[in-house]
Amino acid sequence: MRAYQLGRLLVAALAVAGLALVGAGVAGLPVRPPQPDGTAAGHRTVPAPRLPPLPRATPVEVRIPAIDLQAPLMSVAADAAGALEVPPLDRPDAAGWYRLGVSPGETGNAVLVGHVDSPDGPAVFFDLGRLRPGDTIEIVRNDARLVRFAVHGVEAYRKNRFPTDLVYGPGDAAGLRLITCGGRFDQDTGAYADNVIVFATRAA
Amino acid sequence: MKATRVLIPAAGGVALGALLLPGIALADTTVSPSTTPVGGTVVLTATGCNPKSGDAIFRVTGPDRDQNVRSTTAAAGGGLSAELFTAGFTLGTYTVAATCGDGTPDGSATLTVTPIGGAEAGGRDGDDGVGTLTTGATLLATALGGAVILARRRRHAVTAGTH
Repeated sequence: MRAYQLGRLLVAALAVAGLALVGAGVAGLPVRPPQPDGTAAGHRTVPAPRLPPLPRATPVEVRIPAIDLQAPLMSVAADAAGALEVPPLDRPDAAGWYRLGVSPGETGNAVLVGHVDSPDGPAVFFDLGRLRPGDTIEIVRNDARLVRFAVHGVEAYRKNRFPTDLVYGPGDAAGLRLITCGGRFDQDTGAYADNVIVFATRAA
Repeated sequence: MKATRVLIPAAGGVALGALLLPGIALADTTVSPSTTPVGGTVVLTATGCNPKSGDAIFRVTGPDRDQNVRSTTAAAGGGLSAELFTAGFTLGTYTVAATCGDGTPDGSATLTVTPIGGAEAGGRDGDDGVGTLTTGATLLATALGGAVILARRRRHAVTAGTH
């Protein structure tokens, strides 16, 4: 009878511990970032209004009303291995402007990069995959100009098939490219498989 | 009156020529691809240079760089070509200006050297809760199995007690 009581205690303890771990596991499941639905025009050439190019100026803030985003911008370049820098993880609310390229409003493609998430949850560019053609992106520059861009595509690319030319390549008009991570999260490498890229052209 | 009739079309022609010539000159030098991740190799071609006039010189200028590259081969489509290896290049945009062997400028083109690959812009840690969930489910299953065994033993004990 004593063994039976011990068995009951053991079963109860196992059940309590199991329930606690299941609860913690469910709470710890990350929220998946939204992915592009593939209906966007992507990188295909779109007619852009003829606007005179702006002189170079440092962008200081990005605003995307469609996903309720307003974030400060910091300058980034490349790391020692030649890969694009991203803002530090202790600034998950900030996006980076690739300062070795053009600034938003100049002729060519300006590039912004931001984290999709951090150890604490969603980060600045978590919702980029929700953007659709026609959505507006606003960039505030340090010369007090506000430059508006219209999204014409949102696409996901494998990181090992990154479209370098479409992102950094030259263009006749002022373009904007926003980059973050997306796709499948690889537990082994601790990284996402894809980059989500927003393609936009200056609208005003 | 005659002079006016001759001069106006002539002036128009000169103006049109002045507008078109720079464009033609720019098209004589090409860089393929025009955008490359740092460390990539691009092909510089001066399409307007006659190989019989000697090697073409490509002057590459940009961030922290001013170097001359001599053509090494005759281009398949005409002109002269050279390969340019971009390892060690500072990221940014470069101008490539070609001069033919006879000293004639052959226009210019731009080359953009970019970061390598995509961006590592995900920052969540590797623990996605699945491991914890699995361990919890295993404990629950074990507890259930133990409960079943205990219930059977108790039933046996009760049955034995009544006989």
